[in-house]
Amino acid sequence: MKSAEEMNFAMEAYADMVRRICFVHLKNRYDTEDVFQSVYMKYMLYEGAFESREHEKAWFARVTINACKDLLRYFSRRKWVPLDVIAEEREALDDTAEGILEVVLKLPEKYRNVIYLYYYEGYSATEIAEILGRKENTIYTWLARAKGLLRETLGGEWA
Amino acid sequence: MNPIRESLKNIQATEELKQNTLQYLNEQRSGKRHVGTRFAPAYALVIAGLVCLIGMGGHLVYSKPVSYISIDVNPSVELSLNCFGRVVSAEAYNDDGKGMLGQMSLKNVSYMQAIDRLLNDDKYIGYLKEDAVLVFTVISEQPEKILEEIHSSGLSEKYEALTYTSDLSCREEAHRHEMSFGKYRTYLELLEYDEDVTIEDCHGMTMGELRERIDACSHGGQSGGEKKHHGNAHGNAHGGVE
Repeated sequence: MKSAEEMNFAMEAYADMVRRICFVHLKNRYDTEDVFQSVYMKYMLYEGAFESREHEKAWFARVTINACKDLLRYFSRRKWVPLDVIAEEREALDDTAEGILEVVLKLPEKYRNVIYLYYYEGYSATEIAEILGRKENTIYTWLARAKGLLRETLGGEWA
Repeated sequence: MNPIRESLKNIQATEELKQNTLQYLNEQRSGKRHVGTRFAPAYALVIAGLVCLIGMGGHLVYSKPVSYISIDVNPSVELSLNCFGRVVSAEAYNDDGKGMLGQMSLKNVSYMQAIDRLLNDDKYIGYLKEDAVLVFTVISEQPEKILEEIHSSGLSEKYEALTYTSDLSCREEAHRHEMSFGKYRTYLELLEYDEDVTIEDCHGMTMGELRERIDACSHGGQSGGEKKHHGNAHGNAHGGVE
């Protein structure tokens, strides 16, 4: 079991990433609290060793995405309303960010993952493939399609 | 910086979220029982909802009448009983009945308690003298159960009461004429012998008077001295059931 110091470090290091993954997947802050508890509980009980901080961070990304999927599966009947999610963070977002995020949140789930990991966290397609447990070619395909959808809506050369 | 990164940079874990999570983990670490903060209100709502449903369901079951007893002398009083045999409403169908119910409560007690309370009332006893006839008429899926209890209580013997059964259509018809179904059943019985009798005539007659007319007609005017009948003279005049 991880020590309190390790937990505090992991919280400071990865909480924002966990929060952002929750944001692109989940419907409200209550879901986010659940995923936070689930992810950090897994980490606290995780007995394996991490080769590096990068390895640890990728572990957090993967475990968080899976926790979100589990929660969404559990609440599959609940209506997904991106605007509600954005509304919860309205104070932190300007109009441009709101517009872009609304488009991102309307993407299919698999595309949201690759877009987030690629554009925000800066992972390569190879790394994303590893995190998501998919083939690299699949990730390239998803990235291309996701970019296409965003370009259609947002236009310009943003991607 | 790309627009997506720019848009997401302000989405951050709040200190509250971090601290709540750490607190939760510390509680788990120290073995404290935790009730999910997210689901605690949901559990409370579910429990409250169940309590309400049970309460509402219980209330609906309790307040739903399933049997009826019409008690007629001249005061005409109808008791509506729930499935537990308790009186959920008591209605009077003439002025004497209204006068009785105006001074006593028959609700929320067992029907035998209600009958006992009514028949032991000084004012009501006043109606049971001389030529009075006390009639119990029952509508129920198991009327024999109620009738048996009335008989075994000794009340019917004490007052030489008549007992009949009837049905809901008779009750509906009776109420259209603003009459108790017990008295209305007796009216129908009289009608079999005397086609000229009207419902208006019956409104002004006591049960004793009605019974006297029936006896007179049924015995060809030779009714003699025996005016009262014991036991289960179950009415067949309007859907009587045994």
